[in-house]
Amino acid sequence: MSRLDSAVIGLGRSKLPFSMAEYKLLLEHSKDPTFRTLDGYKAKGGYTALTKALTMERSAIVDSVKAAGLRGRGGAGAPAFLKWGGMPKEKKTNHYLICNADEGEPGTFKDKELLENCPFLLIEGMTIGGFAVQGDVGYIYIRAEYMDGAKAVRNALDEAYAANLLGKDILGSGLNFDIEIHMGAGSYECGEETALMSSLMGERGMPRLKFPSAPFPVVSGVFEKPTLIHNVESYSNMPFIVNNGAEWFASLGASTKNSRGTKIFSVSGHVNKPGNYEVEFGTPLRELLELAGGIRGGKLKACIPGGSSVPVITAEDVDRAILGYEEMGEVKSMVGSGGCMFFNEHTDMVKLAWRSALFYANESCGKCTPCREGTRWMVQILERICRGDGRPGDVELLKQVASQIDGRSFCPLGDAAAWPVLAAIRVFPQEFEYFVEHGKSMVDSIPSLIGVP
Amino acid sequence: MSELITLSKSNQRPAQLRQEDLKLQFSERGVKELDALISHYPNKKACILPGLWLAQREYGGFLSGDAIAEVAFRLDRHFAEVEGVATFYSLYNAVHKPGKHKIEVCTCLCCHLNGAWNLRDHLVKKLGIRHGETTSDGMFTLEEVECLNTCDRAPAIQVGSNYYGPVNEQQMDELLDTLRKTEESTVVQYAADVVKVQLRKNEV
Repeated sequence: MSRLDSAVIGLGRSKLPFSMAEYKLLLEHSKDPTFRTLDGYKAKGGYTALTKALTMERSAIVDSVKAAGLRGRGGAGAPAFLKWGGMPKEKKTNHYLICNADEGEPGTFKDKELLENCPFLLIEGMTIGGFAVQGDVGYIYIRAEYMDGAKAVRNALDEAYAANLLGKDILGSGLNFDIEIHMGAGSYECGEETALMSSLMGERGMPRLKFPSAPFPVVSGVFEKPTLIHNVESYSNMPFIVNNGAEWFASLGASTKNSRGTKIFSVSGHVNKPGNYEVEFGTPLRELLELAGGIRGGKLKACIPGGSSVPVITAEDVDRAILGYEEMGEVKSMVGSGGCMFFNEHTDMVKLAWRSALFYANESCGKCTPCREGTRWMVQILERICRGDGRPGDVELLKQVASQIDGRSFCPLGDAAAWPVLAAIRVFPQEFEYFVEHGKSMVDSIPSLIGVP
Repeated sequence: MSELITLSKSNQRPAQLRQEDLKLQFSERGVKELDALISHYPNKKACILPGLWLAQREYGGFLSGDAIAEVAFRLDRHFAEVEGVATFYSLYNAVHKPGKHKIEVCTCLCCHLNGAWNLRDHLVKKLGIRHGETTSDGMFTLEEVECLNTCDRAPAIQVGSNYYGPVNEQQMDELLDTLRKTEESTVVQYAADVVKVQLRKNEV
């Protein structure tokens, strides 16, 4: 099916030519304030997917998630089917759904826009999920900083309850499903799914043992019950998959190896028009930069394509990178959560590595030693270098510390702390060496842009 | 006596109160809201986070020992457990009493690149306080925070429930003036908002 044909049958999709490489599926109506109300949402074809889903077999919906090739949009990119298909078919106890709206990855703000402007997509997606995996209650775990998003979701939930789209006997189908909002309280670590479940259960937001040491969340998750946990963007894709069919969804991004659908990238840093841009998988990274109005304040130097946790890439790699989970591996980076930061030539990579390391040191939960001690050690070394007191061998030491964290921490936060530092040293080794040797940066930073911390 | 023991400082937080000594301060509305929040979860423990937000509102923005004790009492949990949760999360004011308005300056990657340090230095100079401190008149608390995830508006700051960005020094001064004139504490207002969004319309 060609792209234009598929657009015609899409959920309220316009038939206008596509502007640049943008492919607006989730964000199509994000600029329309009425889309936040139930009437406006229904006018754009909302809730047809739920009506359709309620007439389908539960297994058919789960199968369509597999056929669509939907992958989790939170950062790891695991096939969503593993979770949907792993939920017990026979219900013996309560089933829970969780929406992970604890977006904290530096550079990412896609969930913020989805919560604020398209709350019904999430609610409809979760309700479809609630039907498909026989859920009883869905929790939307929103980070407390996102008050605007939380308020929009609250209004949407209240409207949905009033219209019998949530609660008891939804649309006369016999489905009972509730959605509650649970606010976080300021912790990056709670974006990790097991830590989020700890936090939801009223504990410190520390991660729990994972498979194979412990069962998957779909077997024993929150409150030790089967739990389906997904990112906001993953749930928001569900209405489109149900409405248009899995084949249609799988045709998006067909040029890539194994990435299907669209992805929202939050473009920020030294670009002229920072913001959220939704593109089909398979789009070149360069086009994303063009969508964001190009680089400002100088030439492009580097890019972190998927949130601060993923390795940095050079300007040359930006030219050849293709946005796709496997394709980004060719430039030794990742799609991650889609927080795409572009840096101009005046960016000091050593200071950037220091700031990134400081973030992870601040947000490390303290549970495991490699992460708790390693992140602090990295900050100490980088701070020393940035002060101009770098010692010979510091770069080697930094590499050693980072590689000792990588793969040895309890949860992925440790890896996420190590990767950007290791990548910065791998990609820009001369900057680190210069800083250690001369006690100052080899980059002429623009003072108005970067003050000395 | 071992020197280790004499070296350690006594815990400055108030000790756990006995039940008969508790000074319960939750308003009638607060108790009702807590009951509604408890009904969202299969057990009372899960309500610790919402309970602490509620306490932060009821106790004027600061989770004192009394506030934590009251949450623990109302949720049938131990004081230490609730205190452990309260001190883990950065948005609970469990360690220092904040001023009337808490200014949270994001200094994470994108803001770092877009002048957040200049903005912070400006605030430090203007208010005469540093990270985590409160002005002597109890008006402002300054905090450097990690990513607020509004990188498209860098440098960004958060005051209460609101985000501002991109902020320059002049806009910052104007915001400070507006905040000085604001009667209500944005810290308390923030906690009230967080509690409110977790309750359904018919539960308020």
